[in-house]
Amino acid sequence: MAGRTIVVTSGKGGVGKTTTVANIGTALAKKKHSVVLIDGDIGLRNLDVVMGLENRIVYNLVDIIEGRCRKEQAMIRDRKLGNLCIIPAAQTRDKDSVQPEQMKRLCEELAEEFDYVFIDCPAGIEQGFKNAVAGAQLAIVVTTPEVSAIRDADRVIGLLEASMLRDVHLIVNRLNDRMVKKGDMMSTEDIVALLAIPLLGIVPESEDVVVSTNRGVPLVHDRSSRAGAAFQGIAARLNGEDVPVHNGRELGFRDFFRKLFTGQ
Amino acid sequence: MQKSDHITRMENQEFIPLQIKANREGFVLLPEEAASFQAVFAYLKNRLEHSRDFFRHTKMVLDLRFRVFSIEEIQSIDSLLKESCGAGLVEIKLKEGFSLFTERRERIIVPPPASKDVEGVPLIVRQTCRSGARIVSQSDCLVLGDVNPGAEVIAYGDVVVFGSLRGLAHAGAAGNRHAKIWALSMEPNQLRIADMVAVPPRGSKPVPKRYEVALVRGESIEVVTV
Repeated sequence: MAGRTIVVTSGKGGVGKTTTVANIGTALAKKKHSVVLIDGDIGLRNLDVVMGLENRIVYNLVDIIEGRCRKEQAMIRDRKLGNLCIIPAAQTRDKDSVQPEQMKRLCEELAEEFDYVFIDCPAGIEQGFKNAVAGAQLAIVVTTPEVSAIRDADRVIGLLEASMLRDVHLIVNRLNDRMVKKGDMMSTEDIVALLAIPLLGIVPESEDVVVSTNRGVPLVHDRSSRAGAAFQGIAARLNGEDVPVHNGRELGFRDFFRKLFTGQ
Repeated sequence: MQKSDHITRMENQEFIPLQIKANREGFVLLPEEAASFQAVFAYLKNRLEHSRDFFRHTKMVLDLRFRVFSIEEIQSIDSLLKESCGAGLVEIKLKEGFSLFTERRERIIVPPPASKDVEGVPLIVRQTCRSGARIVSQSDCLVLGDVNPGAEVIAYGDVVVFGSLRGLAHAGAAGNRHAKIWALSMEPNQLRIADMVAVPPRGSKPVPKRYEVALVRGESIEVVTV
């Protein structure tokens, strides 16, 4: 059976697309699925840094597309999980060196071999966005509870719908529980009401994210992290498991154990 | 350049009736002043056939500042580009500083060319208008969904939103001050009726889900609850 190709996009930069791709991908790989992560941000690659694989890059996405190497040569295997690879973006080229059709063909080929193909979309709605979206069957839109990020997410959802990608899901990233309670931050309900797409998950704001990015180890390896648990919940939901989205926050470590022991 | 011997040069293989220059956005097609349309067309066709992949889905600018073509000629070049390699004319340069842009903005929902009167068929939009969408109706406009911030709904007649109006609505765009804006929930960025513009008072939280109408009273736009 062919795998699923999923693009992670947002419109605005810095809302956590790359972190989301790295963590959901790793979480799914931990569930024994074969996963490949493609960095679509040609010219500004950083998925490899977040995964801690930057010094292993020999070939990249543009090399595959231009036929300078086989796709297996450009895939870098994760340090911990053998069934997880990334295809890094080219740093020295620009986004126009890839065409949407080429990207689509590559995604189709990869979907034959892998259970999940994730594409990390660059910020913006130009050529890089069009390339990243071309091969995807499902889109995940990441937003933070800020008006600017939500506005851009809305625009991106409109563009996705215009390009006939109807299966669009939402992740609200960096939600601060306390600020929502005080009324200083938009709540998830408000965001979902405005964007009107199904909610896939909520990731709480956390300092762990910065630490994990700097260390190059995805959060889902850290079992005490609340944000990591949130990403695991999202991965499970993507995988078709019935894990409830908690209102305002995800299942934390403690909740997980309470659930484990009480069976609730 | 010697222009006098262009006929002899045309016999010659080296005469190029059309220069194709690449720039950052795509290609510029620059016909020679003295070249015939047939020569330009044949040359372009030949080049496109030889390097189809190279030109595939590129954006072309037709520079007619030196050599003028008729509309039919421009159209046939456009269809040649489209058919042979999916490339499109995005701009036609006519004079210095005067260009014609052919590329339409994304997701403009254009109603059928309506008659001049506002009594035409109302435009019905059966989806949420998201940021970046621009809807223009030569008649009334009915939105069955929300109008999100960043979206624009412009109608020559009334604007009716069966949902939350959070973006921009412009009723009576042709100058009809009797036009009205109706919405189930009125939280707009801006309201316009004819030549008037209103912004909601800063910091005011709209009372949720109230059926409201914006209309012109005197010299200002007022929002009233029905």
